[in-house]
Amino acid sequence: MNTPGTRTIKVDYLTRVEGEGALYVKLKGDQVRDVKLKIFEPPRLFEAFLRGRHFSEVADITARICGICPIAYQMSAVHAVERALGIKIDPAVRMLRRLFYCGEWIESHALHIFMLHTPDFLGYPDAIQMARDHRAVVEQGLRLKKAGNHIVRLMGGREIHPVSAAVGGFYKTPAKSELRELEDELKWALDASVATAKLVAGFEFPDFEQDYIFVSLSHPEEYPFNEGRIVSSRGRDLDVSQYEEYFIEQHVQHSNALHSVLRDGGSYMVGPMARFNLNFEKLPEVAKQVARDCGLNVPCRNPFRSIIVRAVEMVFACHEALRVIGEYEPPASPRVEALPRSSAGQAATEAPRGLLYHRYGLDENGLILSAKIVPPTSQNQKRIEDDLWQFVAQIATRPEDEITWKCEQAIRNYDPCISCATHFLRLHVERE
Amino acid sequence: MQPRIIGCGNVDRGDDAAGVLVARRLRSLGIEAEEQSGESFSLIDCWQGFETVVVVDAVCSGRKAGEVTIWDATTRPLPKAALQCSTHAFGLYESVELARTLGRLPDKLSIYGIEGKQFTPGARPSAEVEQAVELVTQQIAELMQAATLSER
Repeated sequence: MNTPGTRTIKVDYLTRVEGEGALYVKLKGDQVRDVKLKIFEPPRLFEAFLRGRHFSEVADITARICGICPIAYQMSAVHAVERALGIKIDPAVRMLRRLFYCGEWIESHALHIFMLHTPDFLGYPDAIQMARDHRAVVEQGLRLKKAGNHIVRLMGGREIHPVSAAVGGFYKTPAKSELRELEDELKWALDASVATAKLVAGFEFPDFEQDYIFVSLSHPEEYPFNEGRIVSSRGRDLDVSQYEEYFIEQHVQHSNALHSVLRDGGSYMVGPMARFNLNFEKLPEVAKQVARDCGLNVPCRNPFRSIIVRAVEMVFACHEALRVIGEYEPPASPRVEALPRSSAGQAATEAPRGLLYHRYGLDENGLILSAKIVPPTSQNQKRIEDDLWQFVAQIATRPEDEITWKCEQAIRNYDPCISCATHFLRLHVERE
Repeated sequence: MQPRIIGCGNVDRGDDAAGVLVARRLRSLGIEAEEQSGESFSLIDCWQGFETVVVVDAVCSGRKAGEVTIWDATTRPLPKAALQCSTHAFGLYESVELARTLGRLPDKLSIYGIEGKQFTPGARPSAEVEQAVELVTQQIAELMQAATLSER
C-alpha cells in the first residue's frame, strides 16, 4: 500500500525474458528503497536428479535443463567428467565442439538481439508489432537464427535436445562434405552479423555506466568457448578447480534461484560484455574492426550497449565456424573411451549468457555421487539488482509505465534465462 | 503435398510433453511428424514450404485437463493467454502471429491445444493428458489418411 510521498510500481509478468519471474522495486520520492528480482519457478533439482546416474548420461540429461542453450550444458558437463576421468580429447573433436558452440551462440544471440531486445530500442512492445514496420530486420534475424540452427542440427543430430555429444567426443562426427554445405549460408551470416552490429550501434543508449567486476574464461590464443582459466577485471586468474573458493552461492528469501557472489563480497557480471572486455585481443580482426566501427571501447561499461557486443560476438561466431569448417579433418575416432574411476572434476564453458560451471564427483563404477551446476543467470542475478538500484534512481521521476519499460529493458540487457537459473522470471516495481 | 505435423513441448516437464508425445505416437504409426521445443524461429522454419500444417501443443486456458481445443490459425489471431505456458519468451503464439505479419503462414494451419494441469520439471504427464495424446493421435492419423486418399 502506498503512503504519502511513496510510490509503488508493479509489473506482474516480466516479458521478453526466457522464463518467468518478477521484479519488485520500491521508491520513496526519487529514492530507491528496495529492489528484488524474484524468481517463482521451483528449483529444477537437476543436481539431485543427476546423482546415481552414470557419467555417460550427463550430456543427455543436462541438455534438458535449457531449451535455448542445451549445447552449453552438454559442453560444461562432458568437460567436467573428462577432467575427472583424465581424458584428453582428439584435437579435431575439440574443433568440432567449438563449431557446435558457434551454432548455439548464433542462434541465441540472433533470438535475443532481434526478437527480445531490439523492440525496446525501436519503441515497440514486441517483435510482432516491430515486424509490421521493420520486416527486413526481422527477416534478417530469422535467417541468422536459422544459420545457427543448421550447425546445431548437423552437430547435435537434431535441433532440440541434441544427442550426439558424449564424454570423450561425439557419438558421430560429420564428414567434411557435410560441413562444407554450411559454408555459403555462414558467409551470408557473417556479412549479416556485421550489418546487424552497425544497425544496433545506431540505437539510442541511456547514459548509464557501472564499475563492474567482469568474469569470464580466458584462453591464451582463442576467444573463449570450452576451456581456459577464469579471469576477472580485478586481476583474478584461477584454474577452474578453484571456482568455488572465490565464488559462492547464497540463498535469498525472495528468489528460488541462488545468488552467486564473490566470496569476498559483491556482485559480478558474466556474459558477452565480460567476455568482450576481458578477451578483446583474441577476437579475429573482422570482429575487432566491427567493434571499433561501432564505437565500442574496451572496457564497455554501459550494459545497454551489450546488444552491440552480442552482434560483435555473432560476427566472431560466424567467422570461427567458417575457420573450423575450412580446417576440418575428421578425427580417427569420434570419441576416446572413458573408463570409470573414483574421481572429481570441474569445468566451465562460455554459454551465450556467460560462464557456466559444472562439478561432478564420480564413484569407481562411474556413477555420479555429487553434481553442482551454476548457470550464468544465477551469477548475474545479484548484478541485475545492483544495476536497477542505480538505474531506477536516474529515472525515478518519470511516469510509471516508462519506468516499468526501462526496468524491463535493463533486465533484458543480461538476456536472463530464468528457466536455467531455477529456473523461471516476472517483474514488479513499487513506489513507496 | 502431405501436411506437416509438428508436436511442440518438453518431455521433461509434465503435461508440456503433450505435443511431442503426439509426434512420437504418430511416428510409431508410420506417419511423419516433427518435434519442436516451441521456440518461434525454429517453428516458422519448420513449416516453411508446406501448404497444410498441424501443430500440437500443451495449453493452459483454464479448461479441464486433457480437453482438446482446435484453432484454425489461418483465419483469425490465436488466443494469447491460452498459449502462454511455454517457458520460451517467443513461443507458439508469437510464431503464428509473427508469421502472419511476415506473410509466412501456411495456407492452412490448425493448432491442437491439449489442456495441461501440471508442468513440473521432471514429472510425468497426467493421466488426462496421456488419454488426450491418444485421442489427438487418432484424429490426426485419420486426417492424414484422408489427405493421402484425396491425393490418389
